[in-house]
This record gives sequence, structure tokens and C-alpha cells, in this order.
Amino acid sequence: MLGYHLRMALKSLRRTPGLTLLMTAAIGLGVSACIVTLTEYHAMSSNPIWWKNSVLYAVTLDIAATNQPNNPRHPGLPPAQLTYPDATYLARSSIPQRTAIMAVAQGALDGAPDQSVAVPVETRVTTAGFFHMFDVPFKYGGPWNATADRGPQPVIVLSRRENDRLFGGADSVGRTLLWNNHRFRIVGVLDHWDPRPRFYDMTVGNFVRPEAAFIPLKWITALHMWPSGQMQCWGKGAITYSSLRGPGCIWLEMWAELPTAASRARFLALMNAYATEQRKSGRFNYPLNARLWNVGQWLRLNDAVTHDSRLLLRLAFTFLAVCLINTVAVLLAKFMGAAPLAGIRRALGASRREIIAQHLIEASLVSLAGSCLALVLTVGELQGIRALYRHTHDVYGKLAHFDPLSLLWALALTVLSTLVAGLYPAWRAGQVAPAAYLRTQ
Amino acid sequence: MTLTSHPLLRALRRNPTGAVLIALQIGITLAILVNAAAIVTHAIRKMERPTGLDTRDTFAMLVGGLSKHFNVYSASSEDLAYLRHLPGVAAAGVTFGIPLTDNGGDLTVGRSPGGQGPTVTSAYLPVDRQGLRTLDVHLVAGRNFRAGEIRVLSAADPHPRIGEVIVTQALAHAVFPHRSALGQSIYLGGHTPATIIGITRNFMGPQIGGEGDVYDTVLLPEVVTQYSMYDLLVRTQPGKRDAILREATRHIGAADPNAVIGYTPTLSHAKRLMYSGLRNLAVFLSFLTVVMLALCCLGIFGLGTFNVATRTRQIGIRRALGARRRDIVALFLAENALTVAAGAIFGCVLALAIGQWLTDHDGVARLDPWYLLVGFAVLALTSQLAAWQPARRAATISPSVATRTV
Repeated sequence: MLGYHLRMALKSLRRTPGLTLLMTAAIGLGVSACIVTLTEYHAMSSNPIWWKNSVLYAVTLDIAATNQPNNPRHPGLPPAQLTYPDATYLARSSIPQRTAIMAVAQGALDGAPDQSVAVPVETRVTTAGFFHMFDVPFKYGGPWNATADRGPQPVIVLSRRENDRLFGGADSVGRTLLWNNHRFRIVGVLDHWDPRPRFYDMTVGNFVRPEAAFIPLKWITALHMWPSGQMQCWGKGAITYSSLRGPGCIWLEMWAELPTAASRARFLALMNAYATEQRKSGRFNYPLNARLWNVGQWLRLNDAVTHDSRLLLRLAFTFLAVCLINTVAVLLAKFMGAAPLAGIRRALGASRREIIAQHLIEASLVSLAGSCLALVLTVGELQGIRALYRHTHDVYGKLAHFDPLSLLWALALTVLSTLVAGLYPAWRAGQVAPAAYLRTQ
Repeated sequence: MTLTSHPLLRALRRNPTGAVLIALQIGITLAILVNAAAIVTHAIRKMERPTGLDTRDTFAMLVGGLSKHFNVYSASSEDLAYLRHLPGVAAAGVTFGIPLTDNGGDLTVGRSPGGQGPTVTSAYLPVDRQGLRTLDVHLVAGRNFRAGEIRVLSAADPHPRIGEVIVTQALAHAVFPHRSALGQSIYLGGHTPATIIGITRNFMGPQIGGEGDVYDTVLLPEVVTQYSMYDLLVRTQPGKRDAILREATRHIGAADPNAVIGYTPTLSHAKRLMYSGLRNLAVFLSFLTVVMLALCCLGIFGLGTFNVATRTRQIGIRRALGARRRDIVALFLAENALTVAAGAIFGCVLALAIGQWLTDHDGVARLDPWYLLVGFAVLALTSQLAAWQPARRAATISPSVATRTV
């Protein structure tokens, strides 16, 4: 029976090739627009460390002096970064299972075999907790330990990309490199690691790659380096190296691993107690506003999903709706045009259900063809977007990758469009009264 | 009138669902078209604002020192001496912050000390006497910095005294809306007093993503040396930018083993990057709306053609009963016009609702009614064009068809 329905459907579709093409194109375009925007949206809204979402917390304190905007993007909330004394004080607490404080610095690597000039590398200066907390995968070696943080010892961890570039992907653990003319020993090489959005530091862009190298935090002050990320200072006088370690500059991000509600409450209490004490000594002028943010909250707070992408997603679904309305209109007109045929078939003994099934199959064929077209279009569109933004560090270009989820979306949208577009016209075709059409023949 | 409107309504009444669907499609398309056009126009206007800079012939170069003994002042002076003697270079200067990028700093500018009274958040750009020439911006009032006014900032300099500053027209107006800013005293960062000695025409400074207006910039007479890195800004003679950039990168990269070149953005590249988000939005919105409009017209065309084919006998009878060809064309066009009008009314309401929603949630400017009018005209015209061909085909149906099939 299915074979017969299929043959009939194909025959009917071939009778009006223009309309068939129109419906296929409409569904194809509508579905592909949705998949493309969904792919981008999904990449933006994903939580790259969801399995630790309620364990990892960004630590923020309201520590700005008076008359300074405390957090320009979100008035009323503390800034995203901490000062050196505050961060190091909180990191000494034993309440969190682990903590990490960090900043980014521009460094230069030299001294690899066959290297002629120093190459600039974005470097994350952080503490050992970083690698454990964020489940950073290692290809060779491993993270440095807490002793290396205290020293600081000259140890460095390279990203896989950087290791590929400098050592051709060989195991470089134990070899040495010059980081800003200082000799560092390689203790670990990361495996592929590209959390998107880059949740751990969203002050310098949400979709930038992790840094190429990692060294202990204290080196930034030991080597008189300056953070190359966001930094905000206030107060009188010029900004000098000593102001970096003082209470007048915020430049450090801090994360704490707090697996239980009790530990969170205790840590928050510690933060509040610390702030109260600092207020007494005249430092903090803002009301108590210590806050912990889990990864999901942090991503939302920092606008990982842009307004534009939300707008485009809504537009794409409206577009699909228009495409489907178009298809319903065309199918309806077509089925009504072929009503005499349905009438005769009914008169010859076909049941109402069979007529409906027959027309539904025709609608399914159209949306199936449309979805195949949509997949082709999607691959093309994503490639087009990547090509368009190849030379810029743009979010859209970076996120435009066909993922398995896109296929799932396509499947779901196909089923949806078949149901939406086909049900009503097929039902109408099934309502045809045989007698009316027998009479006119 | 009665002759044409009567069968018209009857035909629509016989198949109301089809007409309603088409009207619905037209309505949504109109609503999207109008709002997308408003957003895209706004984006284009924003992208077309003048940068006030010579983006074609200017590039920047970030140079960083590899050790704490790196002397920014002597290294940058050497680079500048080299660059200023290089044939093809129009002007070069050392700064800290790159225009058209968010690589830079900002400070508050106010009329009274201690952050009292209204303040403006402004970008700043430390420059030397060549700064204005390098940026290619002209003074509209006042004078350039004098040689003695340029201070070399260092970590050892505990109390900065800025003294003289040059501001853009936009910033001058923001801080002194009712009088001339020239010669006035201002306070930078709440504490540091300074006098405005010059006002430049507007140009876009660093801190493009900041809170302040992109044209608010204050030029400070400083060479910043305490960060072990500096930015060179180089303007070349027309067309020589890329060659000079290559040449300078090679020379400066090799000159000092203690320095490394971070990156070398051209201002045209920086401008492209700065607007990439807006451009994305404009491209995607335009593309989707054009496709939507095309689909709408194709739908009208396809359904029109199909209707003519199924109504052949009816048209034949009408022709046999004396309807002229142009009556048939008029009938089909009027049918379409009625559907489009219904859809358009729905569309206008929807467009205003979407516009209002966008204003409330995404901060998009209120929808200008002109867009509605133009959108309506565009949709009416294109839909009538789409209905034109099927209607003409209907008119070619011979009256004999009526007698043949009965």
C-alpha cells in the first residue's frame, strides 16, 4: 500500500513541477536558516564545563573606591576582577577545594630548536588550581604544583598548538624555553582544549582561544610584567609596578571550587567578613556586595549570547513560519485542485483514511526533499560565513561549524514542517464528498 | 463596480483558507521587512560615520620589551628616528592605545576636582608633538603641544602633572555644553588638573566598546614608559602603507633583541573588525528579508498560475458571456489586491508590535512610520507584479473552452 501511495504522490508532484520546486525551496530555505542560526546560538549558549556547573564559582567583591563606576556593564554588581591583595587573601582560604587566580600577559617565546626570532604569545599567568579545576586535558606531562606557585619556579605549560609549532608535536616535557628572556622548564603540554565560550576570563572577548602558554602567577610581578588584559586603577598618582600589588588596581580573575552548599555559604560568609573588615579600615565604600557566580550565571552575566544572535534566531523561526504558511497554501490549493481525483477514488472504495494518508505522504515527500536541500544549503551557508569572516576574529565565523546536533535539528524541523504543512491540506482532501465530483463528469 | 466586486468576493469566499494563508504570509513578510529595513538602515548609518582618520594609509605596531630593563623611551625614540627618515612615511609617533580598537584606556573628565559634578568617560591617547600630524587631525581652535610640554612618564614619576591637554570637539562640547572649552580647566580621573589648549575636529579614538561616545578622546602630552611596551602609529604617503609596514616590521623586529613586535594592525583592518558585528547583522537581515520577499512573490505567482489552471472553465464561461480580456486581468488583480490589502493591514499592526517589542527589549530605535509606508508600497507593487503574469495568462483563455468541456 505504501508503494502505491508513494507512486501516486510522485505522480502528483510531477504533474506540477513548478509548485513542487517552490515548496521544496521554501522548506529548504526556511529549515536551513533555522539550522544555521541554531548552530551559532547553540555554540554561544553552550556551557563548556556543564559537568562542573554548580561546583565552580567566579568570585567577585565590590572593592571600587567612591566615585568610580563599580561595574559599568552592570551597575549595582561588583566588577569582574579583583585586586592582588583581595584575591591572594581569599585564595589562602581552606574552604574551597581549590582556587585559581589569574590574569593574561603578553610574552614572547624563544629558544626552541630552529627558532630564529622570538614569537609573541598570549600567556595566562595563574595558579596550579587552574588545571585541576577546569579539567584541562594534558597530552604530555601535567600541571605544576603548589610549591611552584610559591617560588615561583620557572615552569611553563604549553598549549598543543604552541607545542606543535615549536616542537613539531613531539613530547617537549623537560626541555627549556625562553619566556621573555627567562629560562622556563616545560612541565606539561595540553591536549586540544578550546572551551567556548571561554568562560574562565570573559574580559577580553568571549570566543577567543585559550592562551598559548601558562606560567605561575607570581612571575608577572617578579619579572615586572604588566597584565595585557583588562585592568582598572583609581586613586591619585601614577600607576607603577607597586600599584599592581596594591589595593588600587583590579586586574585578576578568581575562581573557587565549592562542591557543597555548606562550603559556598561558608566562603560567602568569609568574603563578607573580609569586606566588612576592609570597610572598617576605610577601604571599601560600597555596601556589602560579595557574590559567587556559577558557570551558567557567569556566562549569562557576561552576555555570552549576543543580542544580535537572539534576534537572528527569532527571525529565522519567523522565516520558517512564513515558508511553512507558503507551503500550506500551495499544498492546499493543489489538493483542492485535485479534489475530483480524490472524489473518484473515494467513490471507487478508497477510505477517508487512505486518502488522508496518500496526501500526507505527498506532503512528507516535499518536506523530505526540502530538508535534503536544507542540509546542502546549510553546509554551503556555514562555509560561506566562514569564508566571509576568515580574516577577522569574529564570533560568527568561528562558530560556523556543522555539528552533529545540527543534523538532529534538521530532522526535528523536517518532522515539524511535515506535520504543520501537510496535516490540514491532507485532512481537507479527505473531506471531499465523492458525489459532488461524480456528478460533473 | 458591482460587476467586478461581486464575483470577486464570491471566488474568495469559496476558498477562504488559501486567501487567508496568503494574507498571513504577506502580513508577516511586511512586518519583518519593515523592521529589518529599519535595523539595517540604522546599522549602515552607524558604519558610515566618519572615523576622522586616514584609515587607508595608517598602521600601528605594538612593541613589547622582553625584560624589566627594557627602556621604552630610548627604544621608541630609535624607532621613531628610523621611521621618520624612511622615504614614504608621512608622519610617525609613539602612543599607548590604538584608535579604532579597544586597545587603550579611559578616564573621567570633569569640571571640578574629586569627581564632583557631572563627568564624562573619555578615551585618552598619549602623544608627542607629532601626534596630531600622525593621526592626520586638524585643530579647530587653540594650538599644538610645545616641545617642553611633552613629559616622559615612568615608574619613578610618582606625581603626574599633566598641565596641558588637547580634546576633540565632541568631548569639549560634552564637558562644556554652553561655552567654549578652550582655555578651561578640567580634572582628569577626578584629581589631576589640566588646561585645554587645543580642540581638534572629531576622530574615533581607542575604547570603541566603552561607555563613552566614540568621538570623546583626550590627547595627553606624554610618552608612557612604565609598561615595558608601546604603540607606534605610522601614517604613510598614499598607497605606500603595506610596503612600509613590511619594511618597518623587518627593521624594528631585528633592531633590538630585547623587543618583540606584538601585532601590526592597519587602521582599515581595525575599522573592519570594529564593525564586523554590525555588518554581520546587516548582511544576515538583508539576506533573509530578500529571500522572504522573493518567496512571498513566488508563492503568489505559483498559486495564481495554479488557480488560473483550475478555473479555466469558469473563465471561459465568463469570456463567453461577454467579459473582455482586460476584465479578466482586472478580476485576478483585484482578487490579489484584496488579499494583499488584508495582509498588509495585519502586517502593519504586527510591524508596529514587533517594533515596540524591539524598542523595549533590544533598545532598537522606535520604528519610523515612513518605513511602514515604503514597505507597504514595495510589497503591494511586487505582489501585483507577481500576480500580473498569471492574470494575463487567464485573459488568453478562449471563450470556446466553456463550450468544449461541458
